Amino acid sequence: MQNPYIPYPVVVDKIITEVDTKDIKTFRFKFVNPEDEQKYAYMPGQFGELSIFGKGESPIGIASSPTQKGYVEFTVQKAGVVTSALHEMEEGTVMGIRGPLGNSWPLQFLEGKNIVIVGGGFAFTTLRSMINYALHEDNRKRFGNITVIYGARNPGLLLYKDELEAWAKRSDINLNVTVDKGDATWKGREGFVPAVCKDVAPSKENAVALICGPPVMIRFTLPVFFELGFSKENIITSLEMRMKCGIGKCGRCNVGSKYVCKDGPVFSLAELDKLTPEY
Amino acid sequence: MEKRLIKKDALAGIAKKMAGDLLVWAPVKKEDNVLFAPLGAGDEPFLAYLNTKNAPKNVFFPHTETLMKFTRTPKGMEFSSEVNKADQSVLFGVRPCDAHSFVLLDKLFDQEKYKDGYYIDKRKNTTVISLACVKPPYTSCFCTSVDGEPVSADGADILLTDIGGDYLVEFVTEKGEKLAQYFGETKADAAADAKKAEAAAKVKEAIASKIPAHEIKPILDVNFDNPFWNTIHGKCLACGTCTYLCPTCHCFDISDEVKGSDGVRLRSWDSCMFPLFTKETSGHNPRSSQKERWRQRAMHKFKYYVDMFDAIACVGCGRCVMSCPVNIDIRKIVADISKL
Repeated sequence: MQNPYIPYPVVVDKIITEVDTKDIKTFRFKFVNPEDEQKYAYMPGQFGELSIFGKGESPIGIASSPTQKGYVEFTVQKAGVVTSALHEMEEGTVMGIRGPLGNSWPLQFLEGKNIVIVGGGFAFTTLRSMINYALHEDNRKRFGNITVIYGARNPGLLLYKDELEAWAKRSDINLNVTVDKGDATWKGREGFVPAVCKDVAPSKENAVALICGPPVMIRFTLPVFFELGFSKENIITSLEMRMKCGIGKCGRCNVGSKYVCKDGPVFSLAELDKLTPEY
Repeated sequence: MEKRLIKKDALAGIAKKMAGDLLVWAPVKKEDNVLFAPLGAGDEPFLAYLNTKNAPKNVFFPHTETLMKFTRTPKGMEFSSEVNKADQSVLFGVRPCDAHSFVLLDKLFDQEKYKDGYYIDKRKNTTVISLACVKPPYTSCFCTSVDGEPVSADGADILLTDIGGDYLVEFVTEKGEKLAQYFGETKADAAADAKKAEAAAKVKEAIASKIPAHEIKPILDVNFDNPFWNTIHGKCLACGTCTYLCPTCHCFDISDEVKGSDGVRLRSWDSCMFPLFTKETSGHNPRSSQKERWRQRAMHKFKYYVDMFDAIACVGCGRCVMSCPVNIDIRKIVADISKL
């Protein structure tokens, strides 16, 4: 049986600097042992522990979709010891990843439903995994309408710019990209995510909202969805906590009778209402 | 299973003999404390102890242990998951409250989905020999309030009970029976059973400290925001002694250490009493003051563990009561909660 504390060796295959400020990069990893890719079978919404020997580990959401074969991607903001070391890495370096960990976006529950995806800033990563998964030709017909509302502070901070362009050209996704403040070249929408949600006004009929973003965005977006008639069972989010083991043992991300790492990170608002507010 | 009798003064010699063949953890006197430590060849355990200062959890879950090793190479790090296989060991002279803690820790480390091989390996290769309490060791003992008994085979492979001039030796599991050779040939009779039952009933009665540990579960379910939580932590120093000595506390940290080109990934005990335990890189701390940390400790033992595993994560050993430098008493906290 696989020892859950031991990472799989991976090669840093490609590093993409996502934003103008250069502090958010996407790392594409290839497995050193090709058979490990099978063992790392994941679903959108799960996370992994990025493991840099001598520095430690950092829990990061998986940004690629399982439909993208041959590699796995994580989008990482430079913040602490491990993520700073990661940002200094060069392509070709060997490091480790553990996982996949946690639950995922509730794919079975989403089947046959209209999906409203709301993302703010850097929290868009596992939503991107979900979008690419749902848009894949094998999966698209399993879901109804897909509406995406994605915002960043300014155009330079938008992630996955090539994909945003490609999605904008498709007719099977309603994409709404917004920035708090545009610049000279920005031709798109300006405005905060909650306001854009109100404007787009996605229907609650047979719909589920997946919402991820900074706390201030969440705080002002939720009332919009309540007003639109979404129930707490149909609003779903993903939590972040300090973690170490990722498998519900070390005690760090214990919130009430749940461990965010093992029972989450994805919870509906109805589930969060039953949790103690300690996250 | 089989039962035998051994003379009371033969016990230390039996441990000594075992230590010649196996790794034996036993109570050993070190300065003013009695601690569980490996017996050296020829050493005898210290048997005139009430209970050990430390809980024996470190036998299965050491203060610090290596999870993996790694080496720096020009192409990045190479690593190996080689873990030393646990030696065949004996944990000798465990009090029934502490043996009960193993049953509780098993629920966490030996779950169906994520198995903790480091803990499980040591647990499987260790035979637990419990030494029943025929007198309450301390006035702070409260095992009978938390599903324990002073004479209990819970968590033990062999149970030893002082029945006067002899110890009654009960082989509780097959693992325990494998050590039968060390315990002589004298079969125990029905009279020995009767003496044990009498001693057990007497000592159970003598455990005077009682707390409403089960009764507070429904109260905790609905009192997360009760102002009562403001009243516990005022004098807490956040030293973590309670969690360090607790037989059931199991929180840990994972950290890397590097020397030259070689390094190890370690896990070490950590504590929910420490501010940094939950502090995130952003600066956000979900449990930002000692109030939240104390609530977490109480909730985790008497509510969360019950929700998750249907068991209270406290064995009533009283170590936290005896060793808290500012006399915070979990028994009083539980009693106060019962009145909310």
